[in-house]
Amino acid sequence: MAAIALSQLTKVYATGVKALDALDLEVADGEFVVLVGPSGCGKTTALRMVAGLERITSGTVSLGGQVVNDVSPRRRDIAMVFQNYALYPHLSVYSNIGFALENAKVGKAERDRRIRAAAETLGLGDLLGRKPKQLSGGQRQRVAMGRALVREPSVFLMDEPLSNLDAKLRVQMRTEVLRVHRSLGAATLYVTHDQTEAMTMGDRVAVLLGGVLQQYDTPRALYDRPANLFVATFIGSPSMNLYEAGLSADGGSVARPTVVLGSQRLDLPAPVAARVAAYQGRKVVVGIRPEDLVLGSGSGSGLAADVRLVEMLGSEQHVYFSIDATQAGQAAAGAAAGESVEAAILAASAPNGVTRLDPGVEVRPGDRVTFAVDPARLYFFDPDTGQAITG
Amino acid sequence: MTTVTERPAASPAPSAESRRDRRRRERIEEQDAAIPVELYGLKRGTVPVLTACCVLFAVFTLVPVAWIIFNATKTQANIFGTFGFWFARPFEFFHNFRMLFENVDDDGTYIQWFGNTALYAVLGGGGATALAAFAGYGFAMFRFRGSKVLFYIIIGSLLVPIGAITLPLYLVYAKAHLINSIWGLILPSMVAPVGVYLMRTYIGLSVPRELVDAARIDGAGEARIFFKIALPLMVPGLMTVLLLSVVGVWNNYFLPLIIFSDNNKFPLTVGMGLWSQHATTSGDQNLYPLIVMGGLVTIAPLIILFLILQRYWRSGMLLGSIAN
Repeated sequence: MAAIALSQLTKVYATGVKALDALDLEVADGEFVVLVGPSGCGKTTALRMVAGLERITSGTVSLGGQVVNDVSPRRRDIAMVFQNYALYPHLSVYSNIGFALENAKVGKAERDRRIRAAAETLGLGDLLGRKPKQLSGGQRQRVAMGRALVREPSVFLMDEPLSNLDAKLRVQMRTEVLRVHRSLGAATLYVTHDQTEAMTMGDRVAVLLGGVLQQYDTPRALYDRPANLFVATFIGSPSMNLYEAGLSADGGSVARPTVVLGSQRLDLPAPVAARVAAYQGRKVVVGIRPEDLVLGSGSGSGLAADVRLVEMLGSEQHVYFSIDATQAGQAAAGAAAGESVEAAILAASAPNGVTRLDPGVEVRPGDRVTFAVDPARLYFFDPDTGQAITG
Repeated sequence: MTTVTERPAASPAPSAESRRDRRRRERIEEQDAAIPVELYGLKRGTVPVLTACCVLFAVFTLVPVAWIIFNATKTQANIFGTFGFWFARPFEFFHNFRMLFENVDDDGTYIQWFGNTALYAVLGGGGATALAAFAGYGFAMFRFRGSKVLFYIIIGSLLVPIGAITLPLYLVYAKAHLINSIWGLILPSMVAPVGVYLMRTYIGLSVPRELVDAARIDGAGEARIFFKIALPLMVPGLMTVLLLSVVGVWNNYFLPLIIFSDNNKFPLTVGMGLWSQHATTSGDQNLYPLIVMGGLVTIAPLIILFLILQRYWRSGMLLGSIAN
């Protein structure tokens, strides 16, 4: 029995805006599920509906097998961490953490024991007497976590709990959240817009766009087998390179089909060719992960490109290049990247691709380079539906 | 409630700084944070002109208060015979003050009226504040059918002058046996549209929805959320409403004038009015110093109340609660 089950969950606001469209999602006991998507995709709405803070237009929310559509939040046995913490400013850390237990009429001694245990787990032992305003951002975040975990709930909801922390603390808290999750064993639904957070934390990840579930799978599967163009560009950083291409049978030979990318061609080995056989002679969108473009023309398939910009990150370098091919999925990619640096750079200097190279490799803007591509690692999408071509 | 109140010794306790030092530091920080007036981009001479205007206005406001303080120390003859804005011999302040609390002309006593006023102000002002808190919270936090219309009706009632509804009000009071009843003054004083409006706005700004949501998820009922979470955050707004409503009841003249005929139920306003009426008609030798002193004693509690409540008007209530 699933700890959380959403069935055909739909939210239409009074303004007519459809925030969530027939979402089906199950979270098993003890599972850590991440809802991820760009802002406005309905992920927070979904979470608030599970919490009971938002009226359900249609569909059901079940917790532990019970439909709870009409159950008030306080009777749902859930705990929630809010994006902006929502600490009670006039109460001490001790009272903030203990508020839920007080409401549940837990005895004083038991309450004290549990508050101290939760505080200990989160390293708040010395801060119990402080008010929220006397705490740092990270400490406040911990108090918000403590307030939720002290209840030992069956379901844990988190709404972008790390988004207000600085980058370093965020990485630190990721492991902290997972540690707490493992020690509690409660089913957790975690909302974030950060695909890195989703990939690193989730047992399974649900990708949402415009209120519609795009794909619900393990992080590995999302990366290796994206269901559509949106998932392909949203998951992974830098984003997957996407180009409009044609599939043709080279020289009339059906046995050796090729991908035509602008003026360049990539030969496809038999297994890949079989996968895309149905699209022979038609337009497709070809996806190449940045790390699958390897410098140096080996024998076989290669793509010539002009280096436009090099970003040195220390452990790796991102090389932005332009190749003679039309970039595809701009709309989807734009929506995914939002106002990301990559998008801005892409728009500014008009490169149409990016690769991730070893920092030792010497490349400079203006260089003409050739990338070797393993055709087996190419992704194919239907240009009309945006769906992955799986054969 | 919490059992841990003292701060752990190991942590850098902010209380190491004394209260006075903190006040001083905050004042300096405030000055530093403000944009200096030279940088406002005003024309030369604007600042002195504006300052002069403010000074003029302050003088205009304070002149009556100064007059009443000077003249509360004088005999009746000196009130009319000496310069109004300075002291004169004999210094009768304490004498006048003592006389104030004695029975004058069997019209009822000042002390009785003072007690009445205090009672009406506490019950009416306190009640108005409580109702404004409940109603304001309701309008700010809950959407229900007709909530907007109801709110506009409340605001609209501000536009009706009391004079326009005197007759119907009197007739209703007569039917409800509220004539000559203290409830006739207290009950309407508890209805404060301005208070409801102020509280709704204040709550909307100072009680974040997330806090209420968090408390709901923490298993608190609506009443508990109101008293335990929202109310502490509403204190500055509540104090404003309390001050406004207490002052409103304290200074109310018209309503008690029409509903009370029994001298012993008069508030200060009506009682003092009665005195000054007698002073002009009968020329009573002793009444003017009492009226002046009575006026001074009447305004003193409001000034004290204002000074007491001032400490509640502070910002930063929400510090640390909501990120960004």
